[in-house]
Amino acid sequence: MAATKMAPRSPIARDRLVTAGGLAAIAAAGAIGLVLFPNDLGFLTRVLATALLVLSLDLVTGYCGVATLGHAALFGGGAYASGMLAAHGGIQDPLVLLAAGLAGGLVTGLVSGLVILRATGLPQLVLSIAVVQLASALANKLSGWTGGSDGLSGISPGPLFGRFAFDLWGQTGYLLGVALLLVVFAALRALVLSPFGLLCRGIREDVIRVGALGARVRPALVAMYGISGAVAGLGGALSAVTTGVVGLDSLSFERSASALVMLVFGGAGSLGGALVGTVVFQVFEHAVSAANPFHWLTLVGLLLIAVVLFLPRGLQALPARLAGLVRRRAAPARGGA
Amino acid sequence: MTPRSLLLAAAAAISLLAGPAFADTVKVGVIGPFSGPFGLFGKNFKQGIEAFQAKNGKAVKGHEVEFVYRDLEGVDPAKAKALAQELIVKERVQYLAGAYFTPDALAIATVLDQGKVPFVVLNAATSVITEKSPLIARTSFTMWQNTVPAAQVALEKGVKKVVIAVSDYGPGLDAEAAFKKTFEAGGGQVVDAIRMPIRTTDFGPIMGRVKETGADAVFAFLPSGPPTLAFVKAFIDNGLKAANVKLITTGDVTAENDLPAIGDAALGIISTYHYAVSHDSAANRDFLAAMKGVGAKDGEIVMASVAAYDGARMIYRMIEATDGKQEPQKAIDAIKGFAWESPRGPVSIDPKTRHIRQNVYERVVDKKDGILINREVKTFADQPDTGLSPTP
Amino acid sequence: MGLALGIATDALAYGMVLYIISIGLSVTMGLMRVINLAHGAFAMIGGYLASWGLQSLGLGYGTAILFAVAGAVLIALPLERFLYRRVYGTHDPLPQVLLTIGITFAIIGIANSLFGPTLKPIPLPEIFRGPVDLGFRTVPAHRLVVIAAGAAVALGLWLLVERTDFGIRLRAAVDDARMASALGIRTDVIYAAAFALSVALGALGGVLGAEILPIEPYYALRYMVTFLVVVSVGGAGSIGGALGAALLLGLVDVTAKYLAPEYGEFFFYLAVIAVVAAFPRGLLGRA
Repeated sequence: MAATKMAPRSPIARDRLVTAGGLAAIAAAGAIGLVLFPNDLGFLTRVLATALLVLSLDLVTGYCGVATLGHAALFGGGAYASGMLAAHGGIQDPLVLLAAGLAGGLVTGLVSGLVILRATGLPQLVLSIAVVQLASALANKLSGWTGGSDGLSGISPGPLFGRFAFDLWGQTGYLLGVALLLVVFAALRALVLSPFGLLCRGIREDVIRVGALGARVRPALVAMYGISGAVAGLGGALSAVTTGVVGLDSLSFERSASALVMLVFGGAGSLGGALVGTVVFQVFEHAVSAANPFHWLTLVGLLLIAVVLFLPRGLQALPARLAGLVRRRAAPARGGA
Repeated sequence: MTPRSLLLAAAAAISLLAGPAFADTVKVGVIGPFSGPFGLFGKNFKQGIEAFQAKNGKAVKGHEVEFVYRDLEGVDPAKAKALAQELIVKERVQYLAGAYFTPDALAIATVLDQGKVPFVVLNAATSVITEKSPLIARTSFTMWQNTVPAAQVALEKGVKKVVIAVSDYGPGLDAEAAFKKTFEAGGGQVVDAIRMPIRTTDFGPIMGRVKETGADAVFAFLPSGPPTLAFVKAFIDNGLKAANVKLITTGDVTAENDLPAIGDAALGIISTYHYAVSHDSAANRDFLAAMKGVGAKDGEIVMASVAAYDGARMIYRMIEATDGKQEPQKAIDAIKGFAWESPRGPVSIDPKTRHIRQNVYERVVDKKDGILINREVKTFADQPDTGLSPTP
Repeated sequence: MGLALGIATDALAYGMVLYIISIGLSVTMGLMRVINLAHGAFAMIGGYLASWGLQSLGLGYGTAILFAVAGAVLIALPLERFLYRRVYGTHDPLPQVLLTIGITFAIIGIANSLFGPTLKPIPLPEIFRGPVDLGFRTVPAHRLVVIAAGAAVALGLWLLVERTDFGIRLRAAVDDARMASALGIRTDVIYAAAFALSVALGALGGVLGAEILPIEPYYALRYMVTFLVVVSVGGAGSIGGALGAALLLGLVDVTAKYLAPEYGEFFFYLAVIAVVAAFPRGLLGRA
């Protein structure tokens, strides 16, 4: 009841407002990065590519309730698709390479969705690990195509729109990443608010009831996996285009695990939370490991434990919790009036 | 906090982020594994450089030399490139050094021309690396350089049938090719060639397979690190040593830091390598004393520290030749043909390949004063990188 | 023939190491329903303590094992009391994953700063060292010890769970924690005891298996996936299931390493997918 009093607008208008606010925040953060940290654009572009991976993970984990430790397979699928097209196909147009990454991620997403969704709970988690390890072993074996452990090099994208080169200072790559993130964020907001998105949320809340209502659960989840794959693949392609190399690490268990950590850190089930989690976690890691490269892992571990204990719903819940504290302190006064 | 101190703090924070380049300081970026499973080798990079600075001072011709370290735990080419980029753009380094793994070195190679930065490879050992840019030089070794003598040793010992077992990545394939070519040219027979995934830790099955072939020797290469120990133990425990099968390796497999863990079972293993910690020379004793001076412990000094020590010497020479200015080509030209006495023996930089020419020693694991060492028994003098210039 | 027997012996030894470490994890996951990604870290702590005891404190091999197991349990119990208890049986697995990854990271970092990045050897007593000729094949003596230890652990656990009072309470707590506590069983004590048992088994496996899975700071992450896979394929909480899964996956892995080492873990994970797809609840899993 309090909510209706505080927000008189209709839910649809409010959702639009949130989307617009999110887009404005991304654009503003992007501009701040460009102006204040012109020497860190390489690092920030990596953050952007990872952000796409974490957003993609949020679609299946946060919105569909699928626990996965193998999501990097989708990222790597996109990265290798785009990288191999560039290195072996001689394609240089960055936009074509991004499209290839999107397609590669889509296919990997559909395939791994079909495998992972065969089980639930712990077996599902293990299937997801098996998928990413299998992909990694395969990429290692096919070293003629993928470069194996040596990494795939020889990716040299031409200038964007024939004008803006991908150089050492990384402005082009960074702006391309920010633009991609804006487009993806807007599209995903529309997706999660659509009837399809609501269906997926319903599956997470109560799969039996949704099934009883006649919805086709598995096809919906597989479709969501495909979309998720396309987003992750785009992230992989962005990484391939801007760094010019693709390594086995791009489809490793470690990358999958760290993506999940960032998502839960920010707050699963919220696109904004996924983005905030990625940025804060990566900046923290970057700062700590630059200051003391020898033992940053301990600090990161302690940070994670603290989040679980004190912020179980992630950083995105922080404002609400703080507001809750303030309200609790203010409440007695109002009660007296 | 007063507004003034706030302002000061903000200014300090910004200057920290921007990393100002002082006119009088030449910065050198070092990328290596300072944490993680290969952390010991990063530590050796750092201590080798510090030992050199402790002996030779921190300035060249009045230019302060500052080394900036960046951690790259394992094989991660994308991060390697990003770190190199960051060091050039943000820290404004004039030189890069480091790279434990080949894929990382190859990724770093792609930014050198644009950044106008020479790069001294301190470990990565695939031959092709120095061909990727005219601004690359190397003070470590290549697989060809250390493996060709290994095959010659095998032939001298009368080995007829050999199994090659290498880690499945660039340097491993180089080692396989180098051994096969030299050994077959000398009339030997390679009965099986096994490529082991780089993450393997259980080598029992590999040894079983070797036994099936009935070979009288195994040639093995694995990058120095956790798996080498398991490999040697599996060789012994599966009865290959007892069956008089010879184990011939590059020194990566008998690194001094691993020998105590292998124990006496390691006695008698033959290896060919460019540096033994026990190498008997005044230069090496000086070097080891300097290493101890910067906190290196016995049993934790490995070949990476020598490469870094010599790498620092080369960078000092380049800074001297360019008088602290950023002139990459002039810097690289200054070290072509540069020769000096390294802790490992006499060395020089091949003007064509920009790779280090050095002695390669045949060694055998032995015990001296209760400590396991690689005792040098034969010298292959002045070896080039046979991978790039095949005629020695 | 010699090849097949060789593969069988190696597979049995590898499978037993996997079993000893994984069965502890299976206990936590089956009973407390915690996806404990820090289990590998506890096995690693056992390995470090044994190495320290043998090398620096001059303990004998048997004493070092006891020292390692007891030490690992002492380190882990406060973690159980203050951290794990908060995530027992939560519906959402994500906080469990995050918490236990956090613990793993912290333990890796601390191990790195205390013991350094190098491999820590666990020297075997003379009688376990070197090769033993079985007639058809020479195998490391150590492998035979591991196989025997694995069999002993399997038997001991079975007796503990099926034949003792503690076992009855444990099974009651697994089947219905609320009902068990209504009957006067102190489930929190049972949980702590089971957690200690799980860590003890992990530490024992870490020490015994160190020849095959060498002890270094990244041990905790490197092999954790394998342990998790074994538990899941076997079915969380099932002693027989974990044994079957460990032996089956050990066989697949070792065979692939013999015949096609260049494929790495490809066939191992292919087998995992096949088994999980065919038995989504594990070989002998509970519903």
